[in-house]
Amino acid sequence: MTEEGAPGAGTTTEENPVLYVARPMATAARQFVKSLVRPSTIVYPYERLEDPRFRTEVAVASGRPIGVGQVWDNYRGVHALNIATCISCNLCAFSCPDLCIEMVTVPGPDPKKPKKCPQIDYGKCSYCGFCSDACPEGCLTMTTRYELSTPRRAEMVYSPQRLFDVFRSKLPMNPIRLERPENEDRILLDPPLCIGCNACARDCPTQCITMVDVPKTDPKPGQKPAKRIWKEPVVNDSDCVRCGTCISVCPKECLFWGGPP
Amino acid sequence: MSEMWINMGPQHPMTHGLWNLRVRIEGELIRDVDPEMGYLHRGIEKISEDRHYNEVITLMDRCCYVAGLAWEHLYIRAAEQALHVDPPERAEYLRVLCDEFQRLGSHLMWYAAFVQDLGLMSPFLYGMRDRDLVLDLFQSYTGARMTYEYMRVGGVRNDLPPGFTASARKVLDWLSDRFREYDQLCLGSTIFRKRCDGLGVLKGPDAVHHGVTGPMLRSAGVKRDLRKDRPYAVYGQLDFDVAFADGADVTARYLVRMEEMRQSVRLLRQVLDWLDRHPGPVIAEHLPRWLGAPYAPIGLEGYLLKRNYPKGVGFSAVEEPHGEALAYVVNEGGEHPYRVKFRSPVFANLSAARTYLVGYHVADIPPIMGSVDVCVGEVDR
Amino acid sequence: MSSATLYSVSYDLSHTLLFALGGLIGGPLGRLLENGDLVTGIGVLVFAALLLAASMLNTIVLIWYERKLLGRFMDRRGAMHVGYAGLLQNFADGLKLFRKHTTRPREADEVGFYFGPTAYLVTSLMIFGILPISTGWNSGPMPLSLLLALVIFSFAPLFIFVSAWSSNNKYSLMGGLRSAAQMIAYEVPLLLAVVAVVVVAGSFSLTTIVYEQQNYWFWGPLIVALIVFVAAMLAEMERIPFDLPEAEAELVEGWNTEYGGMLFAFFMLADYLRALVGSILIVLLFLGGWTLPTWLPGSLTAWPLAGIFWFMVKTYLVFGLFVWIRASLPRVRTDQLLRVGWNRMIPLALLSVFLAAALVTVRCVPVFGCVPSPGA
Repeated sequence: MTEEGAPGAGTTTEENPVLYVARPMATAARQFVKSLVRPSTIVYPYERLEDPRFRTEVAVASGRPIGVGQVWDNYRGVHALNIATCISCNLCAFSCPDLCIEMVTVPGPDPKKPKKCPQIDYGKCSYCGFCSDACPEGCLTMTTRYELSTPRRAEMVYSPQRLFDVFRSKLPMNPIRLERPENEDRILLDPPLCIGCNACARDCPTQCITMVDVPKTDPKPGQKPAKRIWKEPVVNDSDCVRCGTCISVCPKECLFWGGPP
Repeated sequence: MSEMWINMGPQHPMTHGLWNLRVRIEGELIRDVDPEMGYLHRGIEKISEDRHYNEVITLMDRCCYVAGLAWEHLYIRAAEQALHVDPPERAEYLRVLCDEFQRLGSHLMWYAAFVQDLGLMSPFLYGMRDRDLVLDLFQSYTGARMTYEYMRVGGVRNDLPPGFTASARKVLDWLSDRFREYDQLCLGSTIFRKRCDGLGVLKGPDAVHHGVTGPMLRSAGVKRDLRKDRPYAVYGQLDFDVAFADGADVTARYLVRMEEMRQSVRLLRQVLDWLDRHPGPVIAEHLPRWLGAPYAPIGLEGYLLKRNYPKGVGFSAVEEPHGEALAYVVNEGGEHPYRVKFRSPVFANLSAARTYLVGYHVADIPPIMGSVDVCVGEVDR
Repeated sequence: MSSATLYSVSYDLSHTLLFALGGLIGGPLGRLLENGDLVTGIGVLVFAALLLAASMLNTIVLIWYERKLLGRFMDRRGAMHVGYAGLLQNFADGLKLFRKHTTRPREADEVGFYFGPTAYLVTSLMIFGILPISTGWNSGPMPLSLLLALVIFSFAPLFIFVSAWSSNNKYSLMGGLRSAAQMIAYEVPLLLAVVAVVVVAGSFSLTTIVYEQQNYWFWGPLIVALIVFVAAMLAEMERIPFDLPEAEAELVEGWNTEYGGMLFAFFMLADYLRALVGSILIVLLFLGGWTLPTWLPGSLTAWPLAGIFWFMVKTYLVFGLFVWIRASLPRVRTDQLLRVGWNRMIPLALLSVFLAAALVTVRCVPVFGCVPSPGA
């Protein structure tokens, strides 16, 4: 059947009374002697896989490749949020398949413009990491923390401040950062519809929309050309994080996704 | 003695999940069985219709808790076909790496559960212990131990961390030593052979008739393996043999699964060698632009309608650890799949229970059902 | 030394205390305390309390021992948090079970449901009143102690079946039926193997059987009987590979499926008590009891309580063998078990009786020495 010492296809019982119980018992006894030195179990609260000392000392003693590789570096655990660099773009909340992220108001540098940062309900979170993949500023990352148990359900909800505390605890962060695609879609404007209301520029998290003056050039038939100067948004594509906030706030739905076909 | 029905399930040590095996017994003899599934139905197919293509991956991990990556691969292949995306070659190799490690992990889990059903206590721990090493490897490159969320339409999320292949080879060496120990504890034990030989016989024609696939089919002497018969990903370029046996009984299924693990080790060594030599991108460059980001930008619905994205239909067949899983994805041009449909191998394997259970003893139910390798998550979806 | 038994010590203790108290109080009350029946009664109570404490403590330590040993067989550590190395874990478990509410299914028979586990535990405990552990630790001369111990040991299937039937559960019923069939099938080889020992030792008294093993232990010449006895004992104790009555894979928990709380604890305790009794019987019948081979230096047994110490060491080693078997063998099937019982074990047991008779006739075995003359 195969080369690598396949045990053969026949399933006849070998009648060897000596080996009736001896072979499995010998195997178990061998394991017993091995485990007397050190069992393979990790004594969890005292030994931890993520502890480098454990990986070098204890794991070697048991003779089996426990915690091979850098097991913990990529682990997706509790999030860390750097409030300072968060731009309130909403992308984490939009990308969450479990709808466990809610944007809540936190005191920002500008008291007039309150800042919104993600608050995560770990009762719902599935640790898929889509939010940290989506974060354009790299301020929402996942750490190696995995101990979350609490007697109260309300404590499973991590406010931005608590996430910031996780960030400040300097836990190892998930180092994997996704590259943004080269030719991503851009925000385009349908000029005839724009009323120059400034909503998009006001709410743009990255301040990449500037309102530029344009003369209103298409008067309705039979009217005099308007003397007023209209403003129209211009998006700086290199700064834009493609969050779509401008599209959602536009009262006239004159902004839309577009790009080279 | 009069006959009686007993319910083995939905909460029963034999079931390994939420399902119910109704058994009509006469003394200790099984006269009739009636498998009832559906206790774990979560409507994954329907939920998928309301999710973005990449978000469906999070559900795939929950289809089968021991073979999440195999189900991700299954869905991703269908989704890519529906969206007209081609993954780079390195991503295909990484997916085979996932698949085969997942097969190892799943079979080790099966081994542990199966011997536990027979009352063998130590090998249960041995199997779980060695499966943990596979989980360690998964954790080191996907970031999770059970719900991986690793594959993406057009490739995989990230490349392997440095030093991964060396660690993986260490684990493979360790595992290939362990297989001998497993055989000594099971095949070497005459009590084990007496408990398993000639039990739960499901002959080849019956198996084909019932749509039984995977190790159960191969143990009946039918040499069918999608990896060989209908090579997907890069299986065509890899060298391995199809494990099969003729006994059609519990021992034969044991032999087939043990041999499959050995073949997986063999496959993985080739894959690791290839991955060492060929660095490259792991995700396709020419993705639909809105798929490149893993999030769902606002206003996408109207955008997609305007862009008139090409429609498509995707179908994929993957040799999952339990058998042949099929997926069907319909892309009607929107941001969500229009329809997602899966075929679960275990559902077919379980449905044939009457064929291979009637006539044996009550005490034979655990080994026979254990040899089926039930994973209810994918049965009910 | 040999005249002091555990019971006589208890009696002396109560005698001394009561008479001292009676002398102190004086008057009719004091004379009442010096009553011989009262002294005997208190002596019996002290004896029983000592036995109960010792057997319960041993049983719980035995469970700990099995957990630790099984842990190493399975490449793990076993209980390790409560107390030193988890020694108090079983006490904690027992306390938890003690505090739990015992629920009785509505359809279950009330009398049988409570009577079964209680009687099972009590009868298992009764055996300890008979077993001699050391020269001082026994209840006095009992010519038929072996027979009595085995008779009490074989009560169990009845109580198991009563509790299984009264649970009114299909799994319990099947487990009870299996248990009854298995225990009855293995009672016969068990007793036949014992007959072999009795033939050689010439006595039914456990103390005498131990003293007959001064020259050589019985395991060598009676190896066939030992194998039969160990296998039958495994079946009687319902341990893997013969634990089909509570095969958790198909029968959930077998005959104690419906039991919870303290009643479940009764079953568990009684199971381990029986395991302890089984190990003790093997040590007494085949491994020389509390004695050591004569070629070992006498200083090993010269100190007080040495007999009990060596006896416990042997008992725990024998139980370790059971744990080893449990760690490495799967469970057999009912029909296979019964077939092995009737077709293999009984002929083997008969053979062992025959061999024992031949041994007594020949009187001397080259390696092991000579058999003492019968009835000596």
